[in-house]
Amino acid sequence: MSYFITVGVFTAITTLGVLGTFVLTGLTGLFSLGQAAFMGLGAYVAALAVVTFHVPFPLALVLAVVVAVGVGYVIGFTTLKIRQDFFALATFGFGEAVRAVMNESVKWTGGAMGFAGVPRLTTPLLALVSLVAGIWLVRNVRGSKFGRDCLAVRTDELAAEVMGINAFDHKLKVFLLGAGLSAFAGALMAFFTTYVEPAMFGWMQSAVWIIMVFFGGRDSLTGAIVGAASLSALPEILRFASQWRVAIYTLIILLIINFRPAGLFGRWELSFETLGLKRSGPGPGRRLPGHAAEKGGAGADE
Amino acid sequence: MGDSFWSVVVQQIVNGVSLGAVYALIAVGFALVFNVLKFSNFSHGGVLAISAYVGYFAALKLHLSLIPVLLVGTLAGGLIACGVEFVAFRSIRKKRGQLVYFFVTSVTMLMLLEQVLVIFFGASFFTYPRLISLTTLTIGQVSISVLYVLMMVASAIAFGVLAWALRFTRVGIAIRAASNDLITTNLMGVNVDFIVLATFFVSGLLAGLSGVLLGMSYTLYPQIGQLVVKGFIASVLGGLGSLVGAALGALALGVVEVLLISVMGSGLSPAVIFAMMVIFLLVRPQGFAGVSFQEKA
Repeated sequence: MSYFITVGVFTAITTLGVLGTFVLTGLTGLFSLGQAAFMGLGAYVAALAVVTFHVPFPLALVLAVVVAVGVGYVIGFTTLKIRQDFFALATFGFGEAVRAVMNESVKWTGGAMGFAGVPRLTTPLLALVSLVAGIWLVRNVRGSKFGRDCLAVRTDELAAEVMGINAFDHKLKVFLLGAGLSAFAGALMAFFTTYVEPAMFGWMQSAVWIIMVFFGGRDSLTGAIVGAASLSALPEILRFASQWRVAIYTLIILLIINFRPAGLFGRWELSFETLGLKRSGPGPGRRLPGHAAEKGGAGADE
Repeated sequence: MGDSFWSVVVQQIVNGVSLGAVYALIAVGFALVFNVLKFSNFSHGGVLAISAYVGYFAALKLHLSLIPVLLVGTLAGGLIACGVEFVAFRSIRKKRGQLVYFFVTSVTMLMLLEQVLVIFFGASFFTYPRLISLTTLTIGQVSISVLYVLMMVASAIAFGVLAWALRFTRVGIAIRAASNDLITTNLMGVNVDFIVLATFFVSGLLAGLSGVLLGMSYTLYPQIGQLVVKGFIASVLGGLGSLVGAALGALALGVVEVLLISVMGSGLSPAVIFAMMVIFLLVRPQGFAGVSFQEKA
Protein backbone atom coordinates (compact mmCIF):
# COMPACT_ATOMS: atom_id res chain seq x y z
CA MET A 1 0.00 0.00 0.00
CA SER A 2 1.47 3.33 -0.94
CA TYR A 3 2.51 5.88 1.61
CA PHE A 4 -0.21 8.35 0.68
CA ILE A 5 -3.00 5.83 0.96
CA THR A 6 -1.71 4.76 4.36
CA VAL A 7 -1.61 8.34 5.60
CA GLY A 8 -5.05 8.90 4.05
CA VAL A 9 -6.66 5.93 5.77
CA PHE A 10 -5.02 6.81 9.04
CA THR A 11 -6.32 10.36 8.76
CA ALA A 12 -9.84 9.16 7.88
CA ILE A 13 -9.95 6.89 10.94
CA THR A 14 -8.62 9.60 13.24
CA THR A 15 -11.17 12.04 11.86
CA LEU A 16 -13.93 9.57 12.62
CA GLY A 17 -12.66 9.31 16.20
CA VAL A 18 -12.48 13.09 16.51
CA LEU A 19 -16.12 13.28 15.40
CA GLY A 20 -16.86 11.71 18.78
CA THR A 21 -15.23 14.69 20.49
CA PHE A 22 -16.95 17.04 18.06
CA VAL A 23 -20.48 15.90 18.91
CA LEU A 24 -19.78 15.97 22.63
CA THR A 25 -18.00 19.32 22.79
CA GLY A 26 -19.87 20.91 19.92
CA LEU A 27 -23.36 19.95 21.03
CA THR A 28 -23.12 19.99 24.81
CA GLY A 29 -19.96 21.95 25.61
CA LEU A 30 -18.64 19.09 27.75
CA PHE A 31 -15.01 18.04 27.74
CA SER A 32 -14.06 14.43 27.78
CA LEU A 33 -10.46 13.67 28.66
CA GLY A 34 -11.26 10.00 28.08
CA GLN A 35 -12.49 10.15 24.50
CA ALA A 36 -9.34 8.49 23.18
CA ALA A 37 -9.84 5.77 25.78
CA PHE A 38 -13.12 4.91 24.07
CA MET A 39 -11.12 4.53 20.90
CA GLY A 40 -8.75 2.25 22.77
CA LEU A 41 -11.62 0.29 24.23
CA GLY A 42 -13.08 -0.23 20.76
CA ALA A 43 -9.71 -1.24 19.37
CA TYR A 44 -9.02 -3.80 22.09
CA VAL A 45 -12.53 -5.26 22.20
CA ALA A 46 -12.62 -5.77 18.44
CA ALA A 47 -9.09 -7.12 18.29
CA LEU A 48 -9.69 -9.52 21.18
CA ALA A 49 -12.97 -10.67 19.67
CA VAL A 50 -11.42 -11.54 16.32
CA VAL A 51 -8.01 -12.83 17.38
CA THR A 52 -8.87 -14.68 20.58
CA PHE A 53 -12.51 -15.59 20.17
CA HIS A 54 -12.67 -15.89 16.37
CA VAL A 55 -15.70 -13.65 16.08
CA PRO A 56 -16.37 -12.54 12.47
CA PHE A 57 -14.97 -9.08 11.68
CA PRO A 58 -18.29 -7.21 11.11
CA LEU A 59 -19.69 -8.59 14.36
CA ALA A 60 -16.52 -7.52 16.17
CA LEU A 61 -17.06 -3.96 14.96
CA VAL A 62 -20.58 -4.00 16.35
CA LEU A 63 -19.35 -5.53 19.59
CA ALA A 64 -16.75 -2.76 20.00
CA VAL A 65 -19.45 -0.10 19.73
CA VAL A 66 -21.83 -1.94 22.07
CA VAL A 67 -19.19 -2.37 24.79
CA ALA A 68 -18.11 1.27 24.54
CA VAL A 69 -21.69 2.53 24.71
CA GLY A 70 -22.38 0.26 27.68
CA VAL A 71 -19.33 1.51 29.57
CA GLY A 72 -20.15 5.06 28.53
CA TYR A 73 -23.64 4.66 29.97
CA VAL A 74 -22.27 3.76 33.39
CA ILE A 75 -19.87 6.71 33.42
CA GLY A 76 -22.33 9.18 31.95
CA PHE A 77 -25.16 8.15 34.21
CA THR A 78 -23.07 8.58 37.34
CA THR A 79 -21.21 11.78 36.47
CA LEU A 80 -23.29 13.89 34.08
CA LYS A 81 -25.55 15.12 36.84
CA ILE A 82 -22.75 16.87 38.66
CA ARG A 83 -20.60 19.77 37.63
CA GLN A 84 -18.83 19.93 34.31
CA ASP A 85 -15.34 19.89 35.82
CA PHE A 86 -16.24 16.69 37.61
CA PHE A 87 -17.27 15.17 34.32
CA ALA A 88 -13.92 16.13 32.82
CA LEU A 89 -12.20 14.60 35.85
CA ALA A 90 -14.31 11.44 35.74
CA THR A 91 -13.60 10.89 32.05
CA PHE A 92 -9.92 11.49 32.74
CA GLY A 93 -9.98 8.89 35.51
CA PHE A 94 -11.85 6.51 33.26
CA GLY A 95 -9.23 6.90 30.53
CA GLU A 96 -6.37 6.20 32.91
CA ALA A 97 -8.26 3.24 34.38
CA VAL A 98 -8.78 1.74 30.93
CA ARG A 99 -5.10 2.15 30.20
CA ALA A 100 -4.15 0.56 33.50
CA VAL A 101 -6.34 -2.45 32.77
CA MET A 102 -4.88 -2.79 29.27
CA ASN A 103 -1.37 -2.58 30.68
CA GLU A 104 -2.01 -5.10 33.42
CA SER A 105 -4.02 -7.82 31.71
CA VAL A 106 -0.89 -9.04 29.96
CA LYS A 107 -2.35 -12.46 29.28
CA TRP A 108 -5.16 -11.04 27.15
CA THR A 109 -3.81 -7.82 25.73
CA GLY A 110 -0.05 -8.17 25.71
CA GLY A 111 0.21 -5.40 28.31
CA ALA A 112 2.44 -2.43 27.62
CA MET A 113 4.12 -4.38 24.82
CA GLY A 114 0.97 -3.90 22.81
CA PHE A 115 -1.47 -6.19 21.06
CA ALA A 116 0.17 -7.44 17.89
CA GLY A 117 -0.90 -9.82 15.17
CA VAL A 118 -4.29 -8.29 14.41
CA PRO A 119 -5.21 -9.14 10.80
CA ARG A 120 -5.41 -6.22 8.39
CA LEU A 121 -9.11 -6.24 7.56
CA THR A 122 -9.77 -2.50 7.29
CA THR A 123 -9.59 -1.63 3.61
CA PRO A 124 -9.21 1.99 2.44
CA LEU A 125 -12.74 1.72 1.04
CA LEU A 126 -14.17 0.62 4.39
CA ALA A 127 -12.43 3.50 6.17
CA LEU A 128 -13.73 5.99 3.63
CA VAL A 129 -17.30 4.66 3.71
CA SER A 130 -17.26 4.67 7.53
CA LEU A 131 -16.06 8.26 7.60
CA VAL A 132 -18.73 9.39 5.15
CA ALA A 133 -21.41 7.54 7.09
CA GLY A 134 -20.15 9.06 10.33
CA ILE A 135 -20.21 12.58 8.88
CA TRP A 136 -23.70 12.00 7.50
CA LEU A 137 -24.90 10.77 10.89
CA VAL A 138 -23.40 13.69 12.81
CA ARG A 139 -24.73 16.20 10.30
CA ASN A 140 -28.27 14.88 10.62
CA VAL A 141 -28.13 14.69 14.40
CA ARG A 142 -26.98 18.32 14.57
CA GLY A 143 -29.76 19.45 12.28
CA SER A 144 -32.49 17.50 14.03
CA LYS A 145 -34.72 18.80 16.79
CA PHE A 146 -32.63 16.77 19.20
CA GLY A 147 -29.44 18.49 18.07
CA ARG A 148 -30.94 21.95 18.33
CA ASP A 149 -32.22 21.14 21.79
CA CYS A 150 -28.68 20.12 22.73
CA LEU A 151 -27.37 23.48 21.53
CA ALA A 152 -29.95 25.13 23.73
CA VAL A 153 -28.60 23.14 26.67
CA ARG A 154 -25.05 24.17 25.81
CA THR A 155 -25.98 27.82 25.53
CA ASP A 156 -27.97 28.04 28.73
CA GLU A 157 -28.81 24.89 30.60
CA LEU A 158 -31.23 26.54 33.00
CA ALA A 159 -33.22 28.25 30.25
CA ALA A 160 -33.32 25.04 28.22
CA GLU A 161 -34.68 23.08 31.18
CA VAL A 162 -37.33 25.71 31.73
CA MET A 163 -38.40 25.16 28.13
CA GLY A 164 -38.90 21.49 28.89
CA ILE A 165 -35.64 20.02 27.62
CA ASN A 166 -34.22 17.29 29.81
CA ALA A 167 -30.59 18.42 29.90
CA PHE A 168 -29.23 15.30 31.58
CA ASP A 169 -30.93 13.02 29.11
CA HIS A 170 -29.62 14.99 26.13
CA LYS A 171 -26.09 15.10 27.47
CA LEU A 172 -26.12 11.37 28.14
CA LYS A 173 -27.35 10.54 24.63
CA VAL A 174 -24.74 12.77 23.01
CA PHE A 175 -22.03 11.28 25.20
CA LEU A 176 -23.04 7.77 24.13
CA LEU A 177 -23.11 8.78 20.46
CA GLY A 178 -19.60 10.18 20.82
CA ALA A 179 -18.38 7.09 22.64
CA GLY A 180 -19.79 4.85 19.92
CA LEU A 181 -18.18 6.86 17.11
CA SER A 182 -14.77 6.87 18.77
CA ALA A 183 -14.97 3.17 19.60
CA PHE A 184 -15.88 2.31 16.02
CA ALA A 185 -12.92 4.35 14.81
CA GLY A 186 -10.75 2.47 17.30
CA ALA A 187 -11.89 -0.90 15.96
CA LEU A 188 -11.07 0.21 12.41
CA MET A 189 -7.70 1.47 13.65
CA ALA A 190 -6.79 -1.88 15.23
CA PHE A 191 -7.50 -3.73 11.99
CA PHE A 192 -5.59 -1.19 9.96
CA THR A 193 -2.38 -0.75 11.93
CA THR A 194 -2.55 -4.45 12.98
CA TYR A 195 -1.03 -3.41 16.28
CA VAL A 196 -2.38 -1.43 19.22
CA GLU A 197 -0.77 -0.40 22.47
CA PRO A 198 -2.20 1.36 25.54
CA ALA A 199 0.08 4.38 25.15
CA MET A 200 -1.84 5.44 22.02
CA PHE A 201 -4.96 6.29 24.01
CA GLY A 202 -3.88 8.54 26.88
CA TRP A 203 -5.54 11.72 28.12
CA MET A 204 -3.17 13.89 26.09
CA GLN A 205 -4.59 12.27 22.97
CA SER A 206 -8.09 13.22 24.08
CA ALA A 207 -6.87 16.75 24.75
CA VAL A 208 -5.34 16.88 21.28
CA TRP A 209 -8.71 15.91 19.82
CA ILE A 210 -10.38 18.78 21.65
CA ILE A 211 -7.72 21.08 20.22
CA MET A 212 -8.43 19.76 16.72
CA VAL A 213 -12.13 20.50 17.11
CA PHE A 214 -11.46 24.04 18.28
CA PHE A 215 -8.92 24.56 15.54
CA GLY A 216 -11.57 24.11 12.88
CA GLY A 217 -14.38 25.58 14.92
CA ARG A 218 -16.70 23.68 17.19
CA ASP A 219 -19.75 25.21 15.52
CA SER A 220 -18.81 23.97 12.10
CA LEU A 221 -18.85 20.33 11.09
CA THR A 222 -16.81 21.25 8.04
CA GLY A 223 -14.32 23.00 10.28
CA ALA A 224 -14.02 20.07 12.67
CA ILE A 225 -13.41 17.66 9.82
CA VAL A 226 -10.85 19.91 8.15
CA GLY A 227 -9.24 20.55 11.53
CA ALA A 228 -9.03 16.88 12.43
CA ALA A 229 -7.85 15.80 9.00
CA SER A 230 -5.24 18.52 8.58
CA LEU A 231 -3.90 18.40 12.14
CA SER A 232 -3.61 14.62 12.12
CA ALA A 233 -1.89 14.70 8.73
CA LEU A 234 0.25 17.74 9.65
CA PRO A 235 2.77 15.84 11.78
CA GLU A 236 3.31 13.56 8.77
CA ILE A 237 3.72 16.47 6.39
CA LEU A 238 6.09 18.26 8.76
CA ARG A 239 8.13 15.13 9.29
CA PHE A 240 11.18 16.83 7.73
CA ALA A 241 11.18 19.22 10.68
CA SER A 242 10.99 16.32 13.18
CA GLN A 243 11.37 17.91 16.64
CA TRP A 244 10.01 21.23 15.58
CA ARG A 245 6.78 19.90 14.18
CA VAL A 246 4.91 19.64 17.47
CA ALA A 247 6.13 23.10 18.40
CA ILE A 248 4.95 24.50 15.06
CA TYR A 249 1.66 22.66 15.47
CA THR A 250 1.02 24.16 18.91
CA LEU A 251 2.05 27.64 17.74
CA ILE A 252 -0.44 27.47 14.87
CA ILE A 253 -3.17 26.49 17.33
CA LEU A 254 -2.25 29.30 19.74
CA LEU A 255 -2.39 31.82 16.91
CA ILE A 256 -5.79 30.56 15.76
CA ILE A 257 -7.30 30.62 19.25
CA ASN A 258 -5.92 34.07 19.95
CA PHE A 259 -6.84 35.73 16.71
CA ARG A 260 -9.82 33.72 15.52
CA PRO A 261 -11.31 32.14 18.63
CA ALA A 262 -14.34 30.74 16.86
CA GLY A 263 -11.98 28.50 14.90
CA LEU A 264 -10.83 28.67 11.30
CA PHE A 265 -14.29 28.11 9.93
CA GLY A 266 -16.46 29.80 12.54
CA ARG A 267 -19.95 28.72 11.66
CA TRP A 268 -19.36 28.27 7.96
CA GLU A 269 -20.51 24.97 6.48
CA LEU A 270 -19.63 23.44 3.17
CA SER A 271 -22.83 22.78 1.27
CA PHE A 272 -24.29 23.27 -2.17
CA GLU A 273 -25.62 26.65 -1.08
CA THR A 274 -22.39 28.06 0.27
CA LEU A 275 -20.63 26.94 -2.90
CA GLY A 276 -23.22 28.79 -4.94
CA LEU A 277 -24.25 25.66 -6.80
CA LYS A 278 -27.81 25.82 -5.55
CA ARG A 279 -29.90 28.78 -4.59
CA SER A 280 -30.65 28.72 -0.92
CA GLY A 281 -34.32 28.13 -0.42
CA PRO A 282 -36.27 29.65 2.42
CA GLY A 283 -37.69 26.23 3.33
CA PRO A 284 -38.00 25.26 6.96
CA GLY A 285 -35.37 23.18 8.62
CA ARG A 286 -32.59 24.51 6.42
CA ARG A 287 -31.05 26.58 9.13
CA LEU A 288 -27.87 25.04 10.37
CA PRO A 289 -27.43 24.74 14.08
CA GLY A 290 -25.22 27.12 15.97
CA HIS A 291 -26.92 30.38 15.11
CA ALA A 292 -28.02 31.16 18.59
CA ALA A 293 -25.87 33.81 20.19
CA GLU A 294 -23.65 32.18 22.75
CA LYS A 295 -23.82 33.19 26.35
CA GLY A 296 -20.55 34.70 27.44
CA GLY A 297 -19.98 36.54 24.21
CA ALA A 298 -18.97 34.22 21.40
CA GLY A 299 -20.74 36.69 19.14
CA ALA A 300 -18.41 39.40 20.33
CA ASP A 301 -15.45 37.31 19.31
CA GLU A 302 -15.97 37.95 15.67
CA MET B 1 0.52 -8.92 61.66
CA GLY B 2 0.13 -6.90 64.80
CA ASP B 3 2.94 -4.55 65.59
CA SER B 4 4.91 -4.89 62.38
CA PHE B 5 1.75 -4.55 60.29
CA TRP B 6 0.93 -1.20 61.87
CA SER B 7 4.46 0.08 61.58
CA VAL B 8 4.30 -0.68 57.83
CA VAL B 9 1.01 1.19 57.57
CA VAL B 10 2.36 4.18 59.48
CA GLN B 11 5.48 4.09 57.33
CA GLN B 12 3.38 4.19 54.15
CA ILE B 13 1.22 6.99 55.50
CA VAL B 14 4.32 9.04 56.25
CA ASN B 15 5.56 8.42 52.71
CA GLY B 16 2.14 9.31 51.38
CA VAL B 17 1.99 12.55 53.29
CA SER B 18 5.37 13.64 51.96
CA LEU B 19 4.29 12.85 48.39
CA GLY B 20 0.97 14.54 49.09
CA ALA B 21 2.79 17.64 50.32
CA VAL B 22 4.31 18.10 46.86
CA TYR B 23 0.98 17.32 45.19
CA ALA B 24 -0.50 20.00 47.44
CA LEU B 25 1.94 22.56 46.02
CA ILE B 26 0.74 21.68 42.52
CA ALA B 27 -2.91 21.60 43.53
CA VAL B 28 -2.89 24.96 45.31
CA GLY B 29 -1.09 26.62 42.40
CA PHE B 30 -3.66 25.10 40.07
CA ALA B 31 -6.55 26.20 42.30
CA LEU B 32 -5.27 29.79 42.61
CA VAL B 33 -5.67 30.38 38.89
CA PHE B 34 -8.93 28.43 38.82
CA ASN B 35 -10.37 30.65 41.53
CA VAL B 36 -9.66 33.87 39.67
CA LEU B 37 -10.27 32.88 36.04
CA LYS B 38 -12.48 29.77 36.57
CA PHE B 39 -10.69 27.46 34.19
CA SER B 40 -8.49 24.39 34.64
CA ASN B 41 -5.01 25.62 33.85
CA PHE B 42 -3.04 22.69 32.48
CA SER B 43 -0.17 24.95 31.38
CA HIS B 44 0.72 24.88 35.08
CA GLY B 45 2.40 21.55 34.30
CA GLY B 46 4.56 23.11 31.61
CA VAL B 47 5.73 25.79 34.06
CA LEU B 48 6.51 23.05 36.56
CA ALA B 49 8.57 21.10 34.00
CA ILE B 50 10.63 24.07 32.80
CA SER B 51 11.41 25.21 36.35
CA ALA B 52 12.51 21.69 37.21
CA TYR B 53 15.00 21.90 34.32
CA VAL B 54 16.11 25.38 35.39
CA GLY B 55 16.78 24.05 38.87
CA TYR B 56 18.70 21.12 37.42
CA PHE B 57 20.98 23.31 35.35
CA ALA B 58 21.44 25.75 38.21
CA ALA B 59 22.67 22.85 40.31
CA LEU B 60 24.78 21.30 37.57
CA LYS B 61 26.39 24.30 35.87
CA LEU B 62 26.42 26.93 38.59
CA HIS B 63 27.14 24.41 41.37
CA LEU B 64 24.56 26.00 43.61
CA SER B 65 23.65 24.26 46.83
CA LEU B 66 20.23 23.08 47.90
CA ILE B 67 18.53 26.25 49.12
CA PRO B 68 19.66 28.46 46.20
CA VAL B 69 18.55 25.78 43.73
CA LEU B 70 15.11 25.69 45.30
CA LEU B 71 14.90 29.48 45.21
CA VAL B 72 16.09 29.73 41.61
CA GLY B 73 13.61 27.08 40.46
CA THR B 74 10.78 28.73 42.37
CA LEU B 75 11.52 32.17 40.99
CA ALA B 76 11.88 30.77 37.47
CA GLY B 77 8.42 29.22 37.80
CA GLY B 78 6.91 32.55 38.77
CA LEU B 79 8.50 34.36 35.84
CA ILE B 80 7.58 31.68 33.30
CA ALA B 81 3.98 31.67 34.51
CA CYS B 82 3.86 35.45 34.00
CA GLY B 83 5.17 34.93 30.49
CA VAL B 84 2.50 32.31 29.83
CA GLU B 85 -0.22 34.62 31.07
CA PHE B 86 1.07 37.42 28.90
CA VAL B 87 1.43 35.35 25.75
CA ALA B 88 -1.46 32.92 25.97
CA PHE B 89 -4.26 34.14 28.20
CA ARG B 90 -4.20 37.93 28.20
CA SER B 91 -5.73 38.55 24.80
CA ILE B 92 -8.47 35.96 25.36
CA ARG B 93 -9.33 37.67 28.63
CA LYS B 94 -9.36 41.09 27.01
CA LYS B 95 -11.75 39.83 24.37
CA ARG B 96 -13.91 38.23 27.07
CA GLY B 97 -13.56 34.88 25.38
CA GLN B 98 -15.38 31.87 26.71
CA LEU B 99 -13.84 29.63 29.34
CA VAL B 100 -13.34 26.84 26.82
CA TYR B 101 -10.79 28.93 24.95
CA PHE B 102 -8.74 29.30 28.12
CA PHE B 103 -8.91 25.57 28.62
CA VAL B 104 -7.85 24.71 25.08
CA THR B 105 -5.05 27.28 25.19
CA SER B 106 -3.77 25.93 28.49
CA VAL B 107 -3.51 22.38 27.14
CA THR B 108 -1.78 23.70 24.04
CA MET B 109 0.69 25.65 26.18
CA LEU B 110 1.45 22.47 28.13
CA MET B 111 2.30 20.69 24.89
CA LEU B 112 4.36 23.63 23.66
CA LEU B 113 6.41 23.96 26.85
CA GLU B 114 7.01 20.20 26.89
CA GLN B 115 8.15 20.37 23.30
CA VAL B 116 10.51 23.25 24.02
CA LEU B 117 12.23 20.97 26.52
CA VAL B 118 12.40 18.15 23.96
CA ILE B 119 13.91 20.48 21.36
CA PHE B 120 16.62 21.84 23.62
CA PHE B 121 17.42 18.89 25.86
CA GLY B 122 16.11 15.85 23.99
CA ALA B 123 13.66 13.30 25.27
CA SER B 124 16.24 11.71 27.57
CA PHE B 125 16.17 11.46 31.32
CA PHE B 126 18.28 13.56 33.66
CA THR B 127 19.11 13.00 37.29
CA TYR B 128 19.64 15.88 39.68
CA PRO B 129 23.10 16.06 41.18
CA ARG B 130 23.08 15.05 44.82
CA LEU B 131 22.10 18.14 46.80
CA ILE B 132 20.93 16.45 49.93
CA SER B 133 22.17 13.48 51.88
CA LEU B 134 20.50 10.19 51.10
CA THR B 135 20.34 9.08 54.70
CA THR B 136 17.11 8.37 56.48
CA LEU B 137 15.97 9.50 59.89
CA THR B 138 14.45 6.88 62.14
CA ILE B 139 11.75 7.76 64.61
CA GLY B 140 10.53 4.74 66.50
CA GLN B 141 9.94 2.09 63.85
CA VAL B 142 9.30 4.60 61.11
CA SER B 143 12.13 5.76 58.90
CA ILE B 144 11.88 8.73 56.65
CA SER B 145 14.38 9.91 54.06
CA VAL B 146 15.84 13.39 54.37
CA LEU B 147 14.39 14.21 50.96
CA TYR B 148 10.88 13.50 52.20
CA VAL B 149 11.49 15.70 55.23
CA LEU B 150 12.65 18.42 52.86
CA MET B 151 9.49 18.01 50.77
CA MET B 152 7.29 18.43 53.81
CA VAL B 153 9.25 21.34 55.28
CA ALA B 154 9.43 23.19 51.96
CA SER B 155 5.70 22.79 51.39
CA ALA B 156 4.91 23.91 54.92
CA ILE B 157 7.04 27.04 54.54
CA ALA B 158 5.51 27.80 51.14
CA PHE B 159 1.99 27.45 52.47
CA GLY B 160 2.79 29.55 55.52
CA VAL B 161 4.11 32.37 53.36
CA LEU B 162 1.16 32.02 50.98
CA ALA B 163 -1.40 32.15 53.77
CA TRP B 164 0.27 35.21 55.22
CA ALA B 165 0.45 36.93 51.82
CA LEU B 166 -3.16 36.21 50.94
CA ARG B 167 -4.36 37.44 54.27
CA PHE B 168 -2.28 40.50 54.96
CA THR B 169 -0.72 41.97 51.84
CA ARG B 170 -2.57 44.33 49.52
CA VAL B 171 -1.97 42.12 46.51
CA GLY B 172 -3.09 39.05 48.43
CA ILE B 173 -6.31 40.70 49.49
CA ALA B 174 -6.89 41.81 45.91
CA ILE B 175 -6.33 38.22 44.70
CA ARG B 176 -8.95 37.00 47.14
CA ALA B 177 -11.33 39.71 46.01
CA ALA B 178 -10.72 38.77 42.38
CA SER B 179 -11.46 35.12 43.22
CA ASN B 180 -14.78 36.26 44.50
CA ASP B 181 -15.76 38.45 41.60
CA LEU B 182 -13.33 39.72 39.00
CA ILE B 183 -15.61 42.37 37.52
CA THR B 184 -16.62 43.94 40.80
CA THR B 185 -12.98 43.96 41.88
CA ASN B 186 -12.24 45.94 38.76
CA LEU B 187 -15.08 48.34 39.53
CA MET B 188 -13.60 48.92 42.98
CA GLY B 189 -10.58 50.43 41.30
CA VAL B 190 -8.23 47.46 41.44
CA ASN B 191 -5.98 46.99 38.45
CA VAL B 192 -7.23 43.59 37.37
CA ASP B 193 -4.53 43.04 34.76
CA PHE B 194 -1.93 43.36 37.47
CA ILE B 195 -3.83 41.10 39.85
CA VAL B 196 -4.22 38.36 37.26
CA LEU B 197 -0.51 38.62 36.49
CA ALA B 198 0.23 38.44 40.22
CA THR B 199 -1.98 35.37 40.57
CA PHE B 200 -0.09 33.65 37.80
CA PHE B 201 3.20 34.68 39.41
CA VAL B 202 2.25 33.19 42.77
CA SER B 203 0.86 30.07 41.14
CA GLY B 204 4.07 29.82 39.12
CA LEU B 205 6.20 30.10 42.26
CA LEU B 206 4.39 27.06 43.65
CA ALA B 207 4.78 25.24 40.34
CA GLY B 208 8.50 26.01 40.33
CA LEU B 209 9.02 24.74 43.86
CA SER B 210 7.05 21.55 43.20
CA GLY B 211 8.97 21.08 39.95
CA VAL B 212 12.37 21.17 41.65
CA LEU B 213 11.18 18.87 44.45
CA LEU B 214 9.69 16.37 42.00
CA GLY B 215 12.81 16.54 39.85
CA MET B 216 14.93 15.71 42.89
CA SER B 217 12.79 12.78 43.99
CA TYR B 218 12.12 11.31 40.54
CA THR B 219 14.12 11.73 37.36
CA LEU B 220 13.76 14.65 35.03
CA TYR B 221 12.06 14.18 31.65
CA PRO B 222 10.04 16.51 29.42
CA GLN B 223 6.70 14.92 30.31
CA ILE B 224 7.20 15.51 34.04
CA GLY B 225 4.74 18.38 33.68
CA GLN B 226 1.91 15.93 33.14
CA LEU B 227 1.99 15.43 36.90
CA VAL B 228 -0.21 18.52 36.84
CA VAL B 229 -3.12 16.09 36.63
CA LYS B 230 -2.41 15.22 40.28
CA GLY B 231 -3.16 18.84 41.09
CA PHE B 232 -6.24 18.71 38.90
CA ILE B 233 -7.57 15.60 40.67
CA ALA B 234 -6.74 17.00 44.11
CA SER B 235 -8.33 20.38 43.53
CA VAL B 236 -11.54 18.89 42.15
CA LEU B 237 -11.75 16.35 44.98
CA GLY B 238 -10.95 19.07 47.48
CA GLY B 239 -13.79 21.20 46.25
CA LEU B 240 -13.17 23.74 43.50
CA GLY B 241 -12.86 27.21 44.88
CA SER B 242 -11.11 26.27 48.09
CA LEU B 243 -7.33 26.40 48.50
CA VAL B 244 -7.44 24.50 51.80
CA GLY B 245 -9.64 21.88 50.16
CA ALA B 246 -7.13 21.51 47.33
CA ALA B 247 -4.31 20.97 49.81
CA LEU B 248 -6.32 18.42 51.78
CA GLY B 249 -7.33 16.65 48.59
CA ALA B 250 -3.67 16.45 47.58
CA LEU B 251 -2.62 14.96 50.92
CA ALA B 252 -5.41 12.38 50.68
CA LEU B 253 -4.42 11.56 47.11
CA GLY B 254 -0.78 11.10 48.09
CA VAL B 255 -1.63 8.77 50.97
CA VAL B 256 -4.13 6.74 48.94
CA GLU B 257 -1.68 6.39 46.04
CA VAL B 258 1.17 5.21 48.24
CA LEU B 259 -1.05 2.77 50.15
CA LEU B 260 -2.54 1.34 46.96
CA ILE B 261 0.84 0.93 45.32
CA SER B 262 2.17 -0.89 48.37
CA VAL B 263 -0.84 -3.21 48.40
CA MET B 264 -1.42 -3.93 44.73
CA GLY B 265 1.51 -2.48 42.80
CA SER B 266 1.52 0.54 40.54
CA GLY B 267 -0.18 -1.24 37.65
CA LEU B 268 -3.84 -1.41 38.49
CA SER B 269 -3.95 1.36 41.08
CA PRO B 270 -5.20 3.99 38.55
CA ALA B 271 -8.28 1.83 38.02
CA VAL B 272 -8.96 1.67 41.76
CA ILE B 273 -8.31 5.39 42.20
CA PHE B 274 -10.81 6.05 39.42
CA ALA B 275 -13.46 3.91 41.08
CA MET B 276 -12.87 5.65 44.41
CA MET B 277 -13.02 9.03 42.71
CA VAL B 278 -16.38 8.33 41.06
CA ILE B 279 -17.84 7.06 44.33
CA PHE B 280 -16.51 10.08 46.19
CA LEU B 281 -17.97 12.49 43.63
CA LEU B 282 -21.34 10.77 43.91
CA VAL B 283 -21.38 10.82 47.69
CA ARG B 284 -19.91 14.27 48.21
CA PRO B 285 -20.03 16.32 45.00
CA GLN B 286 -19.05 19.50 46.82
CA GLY B 287 -15.64 18.05 47.67
CA PHE B 288 -13.77 17.87 50.96
CA ALA B 289 -14.05 21.53 51.80
CA GLY B 290 -17.73 21.73 51.04
CA VAL B 291 -17.65 25.15 49.42
CA SER B 292 -18.42 24.30 45.87
CA PHE B 293 -17.80 27.01 43.36
CA GLN B 294 -21.09 28.17 41.88
CA GLU B 295 -21.58 29.02 38.28
CA LYS B 296 -23.70 32.09 37.92
CA ALA B 297 -26.92 31.39 36.10
